[in-house]
Amino acid sequence: MSDVLTRHEPIPTTPFVAAGVTISLAAPMNRYSVRAHSAQAVETVLNLKVPKKIGATEGSIACLGPDEWLFRAEASAAMPTGAGLPVAITDISERSICMIVEGPRASEVLMSGCPLDLDQFAVGRATRTIYETVEIIIIRDAENRFQVEVWRSFSAWLWTALTTAANH
Amino acid sequence: MSGYRLESGGRIDRSQRVEFRFDRKTYQGFIGDTLASALLANSVTLFGRSFKYHRPRGVMAAGSEEPNALVSVDRGPGRFTPNLRATGVEIYDGLNAFSQNRWPSLKTDFGAINDRLGMFLPAGFYNKTFMWPRSFWDRVYEPAIRKMAGLGDAPTQEDPDTYAATYAHCDLLIVGAGPAGIDAALEAMGTNKRIVLIDEQDELGGGALADPALWPWLERSLRALVEAPNVTILIRTTAFGYYHDNFIGVVQRLTDHLPEIAHGPREKLWRIRAGEVILAQGAIERPLVFDGNDTPGVMLSSAAKVFANRYGVAVGKSVALMAAHDSGWHDVFALAKAGVGIAAIVDVRSNVDTVLLVEAERLGINVHIYHSVIGVNGRHCVKAIKITGDKTIACDALLMAGGWTPSVHLWSHSKGSLKWRDDLGAYVPDQPNENVGCVGACSGNWDFGKGAIIDALPTPKDQSRIKAFVDFQNDVTAKDIKLAVREGFRSIEHIKRYTTNGMATDQGKTSNLNGLQIASAALAKPVPDIGLTSFRPPYTPQTFGALAGHAKGALFQPTRTTNIDGWAQENGAVFELVAQWRRARYFPRNGEDMHAAVNRECVAVRSSLGIFDASTLGKIEVVGPDAAEFLNRMYTNPWKALEPGRCRYGLLLKEDGFITDDGVSARLAPDRFHLTTTTGGAARVLNMMEDYLQTEWPDLNVWLTSTTEHYAVIALQGPNARKVLEPLVEGLDLSAEAFPHMAIREGTICGIPARLFRVSFTGELGFEINVPTAYGRALWQRLMAEGAHYDITPYGTEAMHVLRAEKGFIIVGQDTDGTVTPFDAGLDWAVGKKKLDFVGKRSLARPDIVAAGRKQLVGLLPDDPNVVLEEGAQIVADPNQPIPMTMIGHVTSSYWSETLGRSIALALVAGGQGMMGDTLHIPMPGKTHRAKVSGMLFYDPEGARLHV
Repeated sequence: MSDVLTRHEPIPTTPFVAAGVTISLAAPMNRYSVRAHSAQAVETVLNLKVPKKIGATEGSIACLGPDEWLFRAEASAAMPTGAGLPVAITDISERSICMIVEGPRASEVLMSGCPLDLDQFAVGRATRTIYETVEIIIIRDAENRFQVEVWRSFSAWLWTALTTAANH
Repeated sequence: MSGYRLESGGRIDRSQRVEFRFDRKTYQGFIGDTLASALLANSVTLFGRSFKYHRPRGVMAAGSEEPNALVSVDRGPGRFTPNLRATGVEIYDGLNAFSQNRWPSLKTDFGAINDRLGMFLPAGFYNKTFMWPRSFWDRVYEPAIRKMAGLGDAPTQEDPDTYAATYAHCDLLIVGAGPAGIDAALEAMGTNKRIVLIDEQDELGGGALADPALWPWLERSLRALVEAPNVTILIRTTAFGYYHDNFIGVVQRLTDHLPEIAHGPREKLWRIRAGEVILAQGAIERPLVFDGNDTPGVMLSSAAKVFANRYGVAVGKSVALMAAHDSGWHDVFALAKAGVGIAAIVDVRSNVDTVLLVEAERLGINVHIYHSVIGVNGRHCVKAIKITGDKTIACDALLMAGGWTPSVHLWSHSKGSLKWRDDLGAYVPDQPNENVGCVGACSGNWDFGKGAIIDALPTPKDQSRIKAFVDFQNDVTAKDIKLAVREGFRSIEHIKRYTTNGMATDQGKTSNLNGLQIASAALAKPVPDIGLTSFRPPYTPQTFGALAGHAKGALFQPTRTTNIDGWAQENGAVFELVAQWRRARYFPRNGEDMHAAVNRECVAVRSSLGIFDASTLGKIEVVGPDAAEFLNRMYTNPWKALEPGRCRYGLLLKEDGFITDDGVSARLAPDRFHLTTTTGGAARVLNMMEDYLQTEWPDLNVWLTSTTEHYAVIALQGPNARKVLEPLVEGLDLSAEAFPHMAIREGTICGIPARLFRVSFTGELGFEINVPTAYGRALWQRLMAEGAHYDITPYGTEAMHVLRAEKGFIIVGQDTDGTVTPFDAGLDWAVGKKKLDFVGKRSLARPDIVAAGRKQLVGLLPDDPNVVLEEGAQIVADPNQPIPMTMIGHVTSSYWSETLGRSIALALVAGGQGMMGDTLHIPMPGKTHRAKVSGMLFYDPEGARLHV
């Protein structure tokens, strides 16, 4: 029998609004960790151009490390498995959720617990970093808009931390 | 001393009167006053009692170097702050402050008996006296000494305030906003640098605030800085520590100066990474060392000027000066100009600049050159001073001008070197260790004039009979330092620890250099040969709240929860923390206690169906052409031949051959494995595997990805598991033939893609269903609904533990302790004997690993089946052996098994595997129990219930 199961999100689906900043849950998406010794190997299997520099993004692909790319796509997109090739493609769609932190105070709120110098973090950059003790990935979409990827079980804590900082 | 408010002058707002209390008495002051300035204006001289001798003490300084006037401020329940310097407490309407370290009152303090006994309380007194009997250390000496000596009371209630924190980055951080710091900011303002200018006081200006001639300049400068878009100004902000790579710890005080309790955070921790740092911390005036120099009313001469010019307060009606430095003369001239009466100037030097003498004469001030103060009359306030030549001068305040000490605290935190300057009698910054510079007085660059550098004022009195204080806060006198030298201490680091000079909360801001000079004179060695003590953060005391920042209450540390946690909470689960995870421990029904709930949950699993949230299990996806090769090297057993679709138990050792983790893993495809780890081991195992991959075998084409949180995992365990699951899956044959024990299948459940493991940690027919996390709760609820027919029973970690123990399945970290090999654990079958290598293999052949008599894991069956042994209880072979008995092992797991109708236990016992059937003894409170050694498989030893 087939039945529709509903999603259950770890943080409020209603955006949080404070002076100068909004924090909201991004729509569900597919996420893949793509690993290979070279960008070329990834391009071959994905048939897409991928960023070669750590911290750079190309479309929805971010280069997070010397052999690591994060590929995010709409929830319906299909993905090759890379079977037999010297690559590793792993579905991590539900490992994290994404919070959109947006507004003139966005970088101030993130820097309350993130040691990155966001003044020097250009639009289009992506990096794995931390907020206090919690690992996150920050992607800067625009001057005043960041995507923050965080593992699900840490997201409630991060939501509380960011909304508390935004209220300060 | 009879301080009073001057008719005019100062930066206080005379239109805004405020009322505050000190020791329950009401006083008035103005906005802009500190507690110190306002009390001085009210003729208060007595601010507190000293640390050791309980001597009456007044205000000595005007800034954060104040050693004496420590007060407590009470802002209501939980908001009690001790040990605040009265010179830094801004007054507001309703301020409620108290003096400290006195009983029953500040004026009548019983502890002052210590002062009379002073000659019996020399340096090292406590170390020498309270040596024996040893049994008195904890119960008599320590509490008694703690009660007598000490500072303010520690707060007793939880702090209701919140604290903010942030990181910040700048190109230039300027610490200190006196004239030098402001000039540095003005100079850099025109560049595109991001500049942060901080100052600990409530307004910028530093020393300029006490110099009305500079106020127009100050106003112009501040306007320019405020308007500059690239300058961030932080007041009431202290740089407390300077760490590696120009990382500066800074606390901003946000609300303590406000009359109302604010809703926002009380303080904010700034963690600043600066490209360049300019330190403009200024210099601190040095007290002079003479008998009676701690009498209330004896203070630094620069402080008197600050009180007069900044706060409009005269510290006395008739003020005397004891100078060794020109700056004191200038301060006194400024006081005279502000209308304060001057009793006399005494200067220890034989030669004083004629300009100063002329000015003193012009102002009609009596001058005593080549004289020194040798005594102070008055106990709670200065009444007169005695100077050499047996002269007495009536006065109500005595100022000390002993020269200046550059504030090199932060410079020293940064490991910049110092050099001694004889002309200043002080250490000044030399070579930097970071991108940092010093400007103004903290670099030794000042225009305070000249001075004599002296260790103590000359006196005809018997040096051993007088109390001439060096460290006012820790009550260290000149003779204590000399005693330390006499007793053989040579290095200032040792003298400091023996006498406690410079070890108080003020870190010796006013005492280090005097102490050094006294030691230098006593040892007849130049100061640089004696060394200098270290400066350590914090520059001034900071609250724990500020340092904790966000990490309080719900934000103390993340509590990780699964997708199903909300259901468990709504259904009355009792939780426990496992690593950072919150897990349901049991689900009590109708007021059940844990015992009853766990019994019911266990029976449900064995008789029909249980459901368990296993989402927290660590999961690692191992992908790449060399995946099997990699696992073969990591795990003890062979992995290359494992068929896709099948699972295997994996045992992971460290290099030392001891078990570090285990778990069931599945091969999904020739180049793809789904590993599971213990809940607590997830991050550790991934790190260990990454470490090997990156450092030992970078040639392998295999990559590891944590998928712990991608999946919610629901364990469906019990004879009816298949019946409930079958109608919910699509395109999967769950029959025993098509889907045997230790197999994995991919398919969908309720339309959601799933990885279905047929595995069991209970010994029953079982499935572990992995679905994308977001659907975990919905699937759980579906299974609960479908399983209602079979009385599906949610069970928690406690029942899980019992069920696995009945089957002899170990828990790494509970039944193992980092010294247990696979052989010790009875897991010989999980070690590939034919494998050439795996992590830990070599260690398994070490002599002590193969030796007989190692502790081995066995089962224990208490003779009394109703006795549940204590986990951790020690095991002995001979219960009659006198204490200390030979302990041959301990109980690792112990439970009541409702299924078996008796208690069972697992234990590590030396040579245990060769003791089957033997009786051992377990001494526990009240009784020594007997138990028989058994195998670990207590239930269904053939595994018939698994293979159905």
